[in-house]
Amino acid sequence: MKILLMGHPNVGKSVFFNRLTGSNVIESNYPGTTVDYTKGYMVLENRDIEVIDVPGTFSLEPKDKAEEVAVKMLEEEKDAIVVCVIDASKIERGLYLTLEIIEKGYPVIIALNMWDVAKDKNIEIDVKNLEKILEVPVIPTVAISGEGIKEVVSRIKEAKPVKIKNIIKNVGG
Amino acid sequence: MDKKLSEMRYGEEGVVKSIEGDLRNKVAGMGIRVGKKIKMITKQPIKGPVVVLVDEYRTSLGLGIADKIIIEVRK
Amino acid sequence: MLSIDERWDLIDKISKKTVKFGKYKHTLKDAVGELTVKPLTGIPVAVAVLYGFWSVFSSFAGFCTDGFLVKIFDGYWLPWLQNIFPGGLHNWLYNLMVDAGHIENGVLVPSDNCFEAFGVLTSGLFVPFGVVLPAVFIFYLMMTLLEDIGYLPRLAVLIDTVLHKIGLHGYAIVPTILGFGCNVPAVTATRILETKKQRFMMMTLLGIFIPCGAQLGIMEEVIPDTMGFVILYLLFGYFVFGFILNKIIPGKSPEILIDIPPYQRPTIHNVRKKVWIRVSGFLKVAVPFVILGCLIVGVMYITGFMDWLANALSPLLTNWFGVPKETVGPLVAAFMRKDLAVAQLSAIEMTKYQMITSVVLVSIYFPCLATFIMILKEGGKELLGSLAALVASVFIFGGLIHLIWILLGVA
Ligand SMILES: Nc1nc2c(ncn2[C@@H]2O[C@H](COP(=O)(O)OP(=O)(O)OP(=O)(O)O)[C@@H](O)[C@H]2O)c(=O)[nH]1
Ligand SMILES: [Mg+2]
Repeated sequence: MKILLMGHPNVGKSVFFNRLTGSNVIESNYPGTTVDYTKGYMVLENRDIEVIDVPGTFSLEPKDKAEEVAVKMLEEEKDAIVVCVIDASKIERGLYLTLEIIEKGYPVIIALNMWDVAKDKNIEIDVKNLEKILEVPVIPTVAISGEGIKEVVSRIKEAKPVKIKNIIKNVGG
Repeated sequence: MDKKLSEMRYGEEGVVKSIEGDLRNKVAGMGIRVGKKIKMITKQPIKGPVVVLVDEYRTSLGLGIADKIIIEVRK
Repeated sequence: MLSIDERWDLIDKISKKTVKFGKYKHTLKDAVGELTVKPLTGIPVAVAVLYGFWSVFSSFAGFCTDGFLVKIFDGYWLPWLQNIFPGGLHNWLYNLMVDAGHIENGVLVPSDNCFEAFGVLTSGLFVPFGVVLPAVFIFYLMMTLLEDIGYLPRLAVLIDTVLHKIGLHGYAIVPTILGFGCNVPAVTATRILETKKQRFMMMTLLGIFIPCGAQLGIMEEVIPDTMGFVILYLLFGYFVFGFILNKIIPGKSPEILIDIPPYQRPTIHNVRKKVWIRVSGFLKVAVPFVILGCLIVGVMYITGFMDWLANALSPLLTNWFGVPKETVGPLVAAFMRKDLAVAQLSAIEMTKYQMITSVVLVSIYFPCLATFIMILKEGGKELLGSLAALVASVFIFGGLIHLIWILLGVA
């Protein structure tokens, strides 16, 4: 089993990766910090599991080389579990990439990162309902303080592929 | 009134009305799409890029890109 | 698969059911964020930031090196080694490891400072630890702060107009600034550019015209008064060559399209970690190459090969570039490390203008070995072919500088 960290640039994937694996990947406050993938390991139920920090990408149609690396990574790791890291304060466009990944049939789990920023901006997200609609785990996180990371780890096994039809049905007319 | 995004003035707000062909793909992931509210923050001189506000976050687009986005200006 | 519009429709529906966007109050952070990207206020701020960066860099590096490290290396380390190391000025191992000495009035005399000694244990350690380490440290500290605050994307927007003229766009400032630290990671960072053309141009310009932190540090130490000229020439070359490359390389130059993140307070934890990663990375790359450079140059002197090379290249160096033929040693060292090369230049007798030209020459004529390897890895074989063309251009550029001096009447 492998875990891919995918998401837009600058949403905190590398912070997440460092927390999960104890690595020292560079984290900075600008999009495009990570331009190559890094592999690391974390222990889950006494097993070593490979985790991959991927460059940020806005969609699965790459527009630069760093995004190409990300999209290629996703294509190569056909049976990976994808942790979609979303900037909760920009949830709508984050869902765009997430839906694209779901449509490709990957098992997905969503981390609503930057939950603190979303709170500051008075954005309220009904996490329970979002889980029900998307049929995958959705967990608010603050990667820099570590909040929610444990829950993400413990729910990774709940990640599963979802049919887009179901999501359309769940959300209703 | 319709305008190109590149022609909007400081502080003007509007809704995206259309985006030219192949650009749609490119900006879709960034949250810029038909029907989205957009506000002009600043334009750089000498054909420099524009900075716009979409959903309370800021994105910068080159003038050539902004030329291909039509906005229905509100204010 | 959904179409773009279908996907967005679905998201709108999901969002309507699950997300409530409350009233957003603009904060001081947002206001500052906007002021620093609007041209009228942003450009003066950018100038101030870069100037501040520069002043802190030069005063800190000077303080450490001149204040302490020179005294330690020249006052204790060098004399101690000269005392205890077996052999003497006429022993080749001693020459190689400690002190090559130099000729004064026809006699070989010992050096009195680590710049001139050229030994593996003297110059080879003094350059990376005595001069470059403090410079690299302070550079990375400030660069990390700028990164973590979130200033770089704003700088990119402000400078986009200029960079767009040479076929790049504002975001090329990211690899450029990283390159002022070290060209190696900067070459990888060119991946944020969209087309092959842009990446190719950026790698070429980085490898040739952007001096790294190590080189800046050593220039600050040995030619503090004239390094402004050197940097001016290099930036001039960056734009002129960018302009030319843009015209001759086929391919597209897409425009800027980036997110501008809100400002953030850097965390001490992250800053400390990043500075450490980078400084230790520097030591790992730099020290072996500096020592290797010392060894190679030393062996070339001892075997007489360097003199032969100097004489062979003398017409080109003295007539075309207008620099003394002795600069051939530093030029060889520049293959390994620019900092070592500049340090060795400082030991050669020449005029201020010759010094400027020769420092520019060692900077541009080849990327350092580590950068070159990285460029090959990132850019593939296409780069090799154009390298020849570039070397030719470098000769033109070097000759041009010489010509400027002649026209100004100083050479
Ligand atoms: N306030 C807040 N900031 C965060 C959080 N997570 C990450 N950050 C900050 O967001 C910035 C981006 O983090 P990175 O981990 O480098 O982002 P990334 O997703 O790896 O970005 P790319 O490598 O460019 O794709 C850093 O400055 C982090 O300190 C969070 O939960 N809350
Ligand atoms: Mg990253």
